[in-house]
Amino acid sequence: MPVVVACFKWVVDEAYIRRGAGGALDFSSVDYKIGEYDRNAIEEAVRLRDAGGGGSVIGITVGAPESAKGVKDGLSRGMDLAFFASDPSFKDLEPSQTAAILAEVIRSRIPQYDLITCGEGSSDLYAQQVGPRLAELLGIPCVCFVQKLSLEGGKLVTDRRVEDGVEVVEAPLPALVTVLPDINTPRIPGVKDTLMAGKKPVTTIKREELAGSFGATLKTEAMTASSLERTGEKLAADAAGIARFVDTLRKSGVIR
Amino acid sequence: MNFKLTEEQELIRKNIREFCVKNVEPIAAEIDEKESHPADLFKKLAEGGWMGIPIPTQYGGAGADYLTNAIVVEELSRSCSSTGFTVSIHVGIACMLINLFGTEDQKKKYLVPLATGKHLGAFVLTEPGAGTDVMAATTTATKDGDAYVLNGTKTFISNGPIADTYLVFCWTDKAAGRKGMSSFIIPKGTPGLKPGEHFHKMGLRSSQTSEVVFKDCRLTKENLLGAEGAGMGNAGAAFDHGRVGIAAQGVGILQAALDESIKYSKERVQMGSPIARHQAISWMIADMATDLQAARFLTYYAAWLKDNKLPFTKDASMAKLFAAEKAMHHTTKAVQIHGGYGYIKGAKVERLMRDAKILEIYEGTSEAQRMVISGTVLR
Amino acid sequence: MAGIWIIAETREQAFELLGAGRSLAPDMGTALTAIVRKGAGPPEETIARGADEVFLLPELPPDQPFGAHLPVIEQEAKTASPDLILFISSARGKEMAARLAARLGAGLCSGCTALAFDKGSGSIRMERLAYGGAAIQKLTASTKPVIVAVPPRSFEPAQVVDGRQGKTRELPSPPPSAVRIIEKKPKEKVAKDITEARVIVCAGRGFDKKEDLALARELADALGGELGATRPLTEEMHWLSADLCIGLSGVQVKPELYMGLGVSGQIQHMTGVRGAKVVCAVNRDENAPIFALSDFGIVGSLYEVVPKIIEELKK
Repeated sequence: MPVVVACFKWVVDEAYIRRGAGGALDFSSVDYKIGEYDRNAIEEAVRLRDAGGGGSVIGITVGAPESAKGVKDGLSRGMDLAFFASDPSFKDLEPSQTAAILAEVIRSRIPQYDLITCGEGSSDLYAQQVGPRLAELLGIPCVCFVQKLSLEGGKLVTDRRVEDGVEVVEAPLPALVTVLPDINTPRIPGVKDTLMAGKKPVTTIKREELAGSFGATLKTEAMTASSLERTGEKLAADAAGIARFVDTLRKSGVIR
Repeated sequence: MNFKLTEEQELIRKNIREFCVKNVEPIAAEIDEKESHPADLFKKLAEGGWMGIPIPTQYGGAGADYLTNAIVVEELSRSCSSTGFTVSIHVGIACMLINLFGTEDQKKKYLVPLATGKHLGAFVLTEPGAGTDVMAATTTATKDGDAYVLNGTKTFISNGPIADTYLVFCWTDKAAGRKGMSSFIIPKGTPGLKPGEHFHKMGLRSSQTSEVVFKDCRLTKENLLGAEGAGMGNAGAAFDHGRVGIAAQGVGILQAALDESIKYSKERVQMGSPIARHQAISWMIADMATDLQAARFLTYYAAWLKDNKLPFTKDASMAKLFAAEKAMHHTTKAVQIHGGYGYIKGAKVERLMRDAKILEIYEGTSEAQRMVISGTVLR
Repeated sequence: MAGIWIIAETREQAFELLGAGRSLAPDMGTALTAIVRKGAGPPEETIARGADEVFLLPELPPDQPFGAHLPVIEQEAKTASPDLILFISSARGKEMAARLAARLGAGLCSGCTALAFDKGSGSIRMERLAYGGAAIQKLTASTKPVIVAVPPRSFEPAQVVDGRQGKTRELPSPPPSAVRIIEKKPKEKVAKDITEARVIVCAGRGFDKKEDLALARELADALGGELGATRPLTEEMHWLSADLCIGLSGVQVKPELYMGLGVSGQIQHMTGVRGAKVVCAVNRDENAPIFALSDFGIVGSLYEVVPKIIEELKK
């Protein structure tokens, strides 16, 4: 009956970011979503709970008060209850701050747990730091980039993907994992899941209720739109188009 | 005045959109071409609880409001109008009518499998000689002791070939006029009920449409929905609810027409610039966006009235009339914006335009809506 | 004592990081320390390629992960107090960088795409991608040290300079790690490492079934290149191995030619090919975003177009 803590973040849906004047980012019509990879973390936590014949899944997120909708979204994905560290200053945090706040919430509010699941990275910053940082701050073992996992006799057994193959790794519990997107297929919450989410317990924690200063270690000097645009010449699928396509390849010197 | 949807409604919209992108959009063109009913897709819709949104949870529904249902029909229709409509008629008419007028036993027997999406419902009213003029219907249910015996031919019945549960309207006492019509719940397989062959249609092609023929179809009082003679009133409720669904379908089509037009006009270059920068095109898109917003507000308002237990007959008609006509108008413009590419099979706007036309016809033609609206405002 | 540290697991990583370190060390006026696995290669070579000092990480028992060295490295860092610590953002590198950052209370710029020292302000300037590649985030450090993880092949490997001198020291063996490796499943080498490929033909969702990928392979062969894939093909359909997945969450590639077949051009994918010299596409949807992100492309079904391209290439 495992107790699994799933960490998630309510992020800007990058599909709605527009390129504004002078290369600035235009956030005027953005929508928000649960980070794509965090959905795998939640799904895996729920899977472990259900496979373990009980237990619970506790969600945690850190954000500005507007992220309350994200808490509901998270709960609609099968979690039992949630902690929401909410403060206007918790917007645009860097990974070191997010990890420190999560660690403090877990230390002070969740006395017992078996496993913490995190996505491999957030959908917005994709710094891939919060998971391993959080494990260090809590002083628990950490396995990143996990594509398969199980809990067996007080131990965590995982397949983690590294450049040269797969390592089967074990660690004593409690531990933290960051999961890869192919570990599972996150559910799309059904209507009832969403309606029930609002009835699940949420503990909102304000900044002053947390011990710690949570200072930044990096400073974002600028966030500008990147451009991948190229000339984008479109050719027809006829003989002339194909001949020109191959000819252009040859002339560009990339075919030997 | 509050124009903001609830957090739940916003999340549900996001989820059904994701569902559509993953499960509906990829098959929409194919099921249109093949005129096939996507049974696997409907299984997934049932699993997610999308087939009984406004029905109370004790009868297998999600217990949400009618506005949420309208949002879901809109999003489904944005990807595939046929799918949006099939859900709309199933929920808005079949489920809603049994929920409103059915007995406890009928709800347990028929509504639970419908609202959980295990069964599909059909609304059986129209006849070859009785469209807008419901009074011209000829199908009769003759009393034979405690039984009713149905005879007659119904046509243009959506979900006709595939429904599990038919809500059938016919005369129990023709001489009694409006008070002589009754409605029945008839499960598929009942002797004497015979669905016909699928009609090949201009649009909405994966929605299955057929005749439904009754030949000495014997029913009992348990099949009667509401009191004997309550049929016309029940049909009125069916139209009120159904029309909000058709309006939502129109909103979804308008949104899709706008999505496609924006995307294409920004990409397509003519005379040295994307056509979106040409005023002829950008004004079409401005009108499209404006009418979309107006249609959405009318539709949500009608659903809101229903959810707040206020009269909404006129408002459902207004929403349906406006959304239908604007969907037809703007899908034509969307094809125009796409030029020759928009006229080719496989272009989404081509399908949108064909799918839009039926909105002006079924569940009351635009003319019938004007009759309802004028009848109310001139009263 | 200040300085630049590089922490590497392999010889190749060490040389690239030395390349990065050497480009910064003169301006920062500081020494370069390489912390490398002992088994990765002779320390003399590391010194010849730019290290002023080499710390050797002792070999570990087979069940111990690279991360086991962390407590030792942490202690060294607390004593030496370097200004900048560089990692390669490999799976192990990213994890170790983040864990070390937490232990040192340091900032970490992961997936760093540009790194420079600004002499005027005396600050290290870093850039990375955010929002799925839609944005560039420019950062400076507010604390010391700052840790930076750079993607593989971001920097040219440092070259050998004859006559360089340096010190070598072996670090102590770490205490056993709670995380234990119980089995290693080496990757089956089905294809060459696509990050090294000069030409990449990338298959996208436009392929109807797995068998059809033979067409992409045939084109890759005709061009003397390798096959890559978009995320849906590796993560959802499992048609190809995950290490062929190109994009922000896969590998970043820098070929001379990238050709996307049936690839729509999602930004998360295209960010992975931003270093390509030539990008071209075949897609039947003329509105596919990839066209705007390509140098040129053909609007048409890949099933019709690719065989014709192969034929044309043979002429």
